[in-house]
Order: sequence, then structure tokens, then C-alpha cells
Amino acid sequence: MEDKLKKFVDEHRDEFDVFEPRTELWQNICEELPQKRKTAKVISIKFGDSASFSANSMFMRIAAAIVLLVGCGLTLFLMKSNAPEAGNTIAATTAPPVNNIAPELAEVEAYYVSQIKEKKSKLSEYDLKVLGLDDQQEIDQELARLDSSYVQLKKQLYTTPNTDEIVGALIQNLQIRIRVLNRQLEVLQRLEQINEQPDLEPQKDETTNV
Amino acid sequence: MEKLSYQDVNHHVIDRCKSGDNRAQYELYKLYSKAMFNVSMRIINDYAEAEDVLQEAFLSAFKNLQSYKAEASFGSWLKKIVVNASINAIRKRRSELVPMDERVVGEVADEAYEDDSEWQVEKVRRAIQQLPDGYRVVLSLYLLEGYDHAEIGEVLGITESTSKSQYSRAKKKLLEIMKEPQFAV
Repeated sequence: MEDKLKKFVDEHRDEFDVFEPRTELWQNICEELPQKRKTAKVISIKFGDSASFSANSMFMRIAAAIVLLVGCGLTLFLMKSNAPEAGNTIAATTAPPVNNIAPELAEVEAYYVSQIKEKKSKLSEYDLKVLGLDDQQEIDQELARLDSSYVQLKKQLYTTPNTDEIVGALIQNLQIRIRVLNRQLEVLQRLEQINEQPDLEPQKDETTNV
Repeated sequence: MEKLSYQDVNHHVIDRCKSGDNRAQYELYKLYSKAMFNVSMRIINDYAEAEDVLQEAFLSAFKNLQSYKAEASFGSWLKKIVVNASINAIRKRRSELVPMDERVVGEVADEAYEDDSEWQVEKVRRAIQQLPDGYRVVLSLYLLEGYDHAEIGEVLGITESTSKSQYSRAKKKLLEIMKEPQFAV
């Protein structure tokens, strides 16, 4: 037997949703939601209104903490030990004689190395495949090229009388790396923003069909 | 395939909610609050109580989001929470939700003649609101929330056949209400 009423309701299903909760209701819900670690904002006092950029606040906090730790650790490590092998991605590790030839280089190098490290760790947070970016290899190659020319410059430093010029070139090399990484970061951020957009649109179909 | 498409719809937002992102929670709320409020309203038939239930349901959903495994759409997961919370609320109000002669499970007299020519959504909707709680809940779950009688039985703690006969009675009553002269729009 046919259920005409059921059929009628099915045909007009959407029209039956006529009520809406008061807008203040969200406020009430919000107040009772567990506030995620408000205390962690102690840090944010330092950065003033850093709260404004907290797009993914929890994520950003963790990321920032990691970057900070890595940065500090690396700087300390490089400053403290003039060890010939700092064993990190950049071939430019401070050999002892550098202090005699170009004393300022060690410091500058440590600074840039920590910067580069920071950018790289930021970059690694993006899932490149998800964002549909496949030119990462190019960038890796570019960085590798820069790295090897850095090693060569470094060698020349010991053999050439004109250290200033080479130190300049070394610093420039480091700066280019940072620029490359920055540009990549920008691209990724923009991509991420674009990818997030579709989520904001209400999925009406799904809500009403269930 | 179904499973995949469920995940695609909102899983970004849901993932962000899982990490306690307030804005993501608001996005989900915006997306679902109206539909869920109407579910709750139909069962409880009381604006203030339905709001309480909606609030409770969303809080519980956000709290238990870890247990949402994307097996069904988020909407149906949430709806289950809302339906259960609504039924609990109405149970508190009344001791028995389906008290009307459970023992007479037998067939209900023939269907009343369904003259659908004069049906209007608003009229049907208001008539549903006039039904007594027990009838209204079964009828709403069946007609509007897409539950079948087995599911209704489960959620109300009655048998499938009770749900069926309850629905037939409810429908009959509904048609009667709509025929009442003062009910004509």
C-alpha cells in the first residue's frame, strides 16, 4: 500500500525545517567548550597581539615551539663548538682557521644557518603532495647547487688573499637560500589558503539528506 | 566509495575541531545547527527545551569527536546524538513515551483516506505539532528523519511492530486533525 503522506513529506522535506535556534546559542555553547590551554598564551604576551595570526593556533604554537627549539639549539651548538663537523645539512661548517681569517664569518654563518633551518622546518610542515605541488625537487636541486658552491667558496677562503670578497659571496649565497625558501613558503601559504576555501561553504546537501 | 566521499566533505573542518579549533567548531555549528534544531524541535515540540538539547548535543559531539570514525557522514553521526538527547529530554518530561495500548499490537483499522490534494507543508507541519508526544515522535522519526521502524524501535526501546502500529495510528490522527474545520488554513 502506498504511503502518500510519506511521499508528500519526502517531496517537501526541506520545507519542513522552519525553526532556527537563537543566534546567542552559539555563545552559550562556546562558553562551555573546554578552552584549549588558555594558559599557553603566557608566551603570546611577548609577541603582543600574536593571537591575530592564530589561524591554526594549536598547530602554530607547536610549530613555533619546534622552530624555536631547533633554532636555539643549533645556534648554541654552532657558537659553542667550533668543531669542524657540525653535521648538518649545510656544508658550511666552521673550521677552526676561519676564526683567524674571517672572524666575523662564524657568527654570520650561525645566524643564517639557524634562519635556514627555521624556514626548512616550516616548509616541512606542509604536505606537498596534498597541496599539489611537485616542483619541490627543483628547489631541492637549487639548494644543493648553492650548497656545493658554498663549499667551494669556503675552500678558496683559505687560499685567496682577498677574504672580504669571498666572505661577501658566502653571505650572499646564504641570503639567496633564504630567499628561495621564503618564496616557497609564500607559495605554499597561498596554496593552503586556496585549498581551505571550499570547506567554508555549507554542504547543504549532506545536512538535509541524512 | 561512499566512505570516501563522506570523508571529503568536512574532514578538514572536523580534523581542526579535533584539535580544539574554535573557528572550525563554529563552522560545523553553522553547517548543522539549523537542521539539528529542527530534528530536536520535532521530537520535543518545545523551543526552549529543543535549544537546551541542541546545546547539549553539540557540546557532547565536540567532546566525543575523537570517537567519530567517518564510517557514516558527520551529519548522521551528529543526528544520532541529537535524536537520543531529544528522546531523553522528552522522557524526563513524560514517564512513558509510547504508553498507548502496547498490548494491542494488532493491525490498526484501514488507512484513513489520504486526500493529498489539500495538503500543504505548513498545514501538515502544524498538524504534526498537535499530535501527542508518543505519536509525534514516531511519526517524525519515520517521515522526516528517515528512520525505519526497526531503527525507531531500537531508539525508543519498543518493538518494530509497535512502531509500525504506532505510526499508523499517528497518521490516522494526523489526517483527522487536518480535517478539523478550525484547522483549515
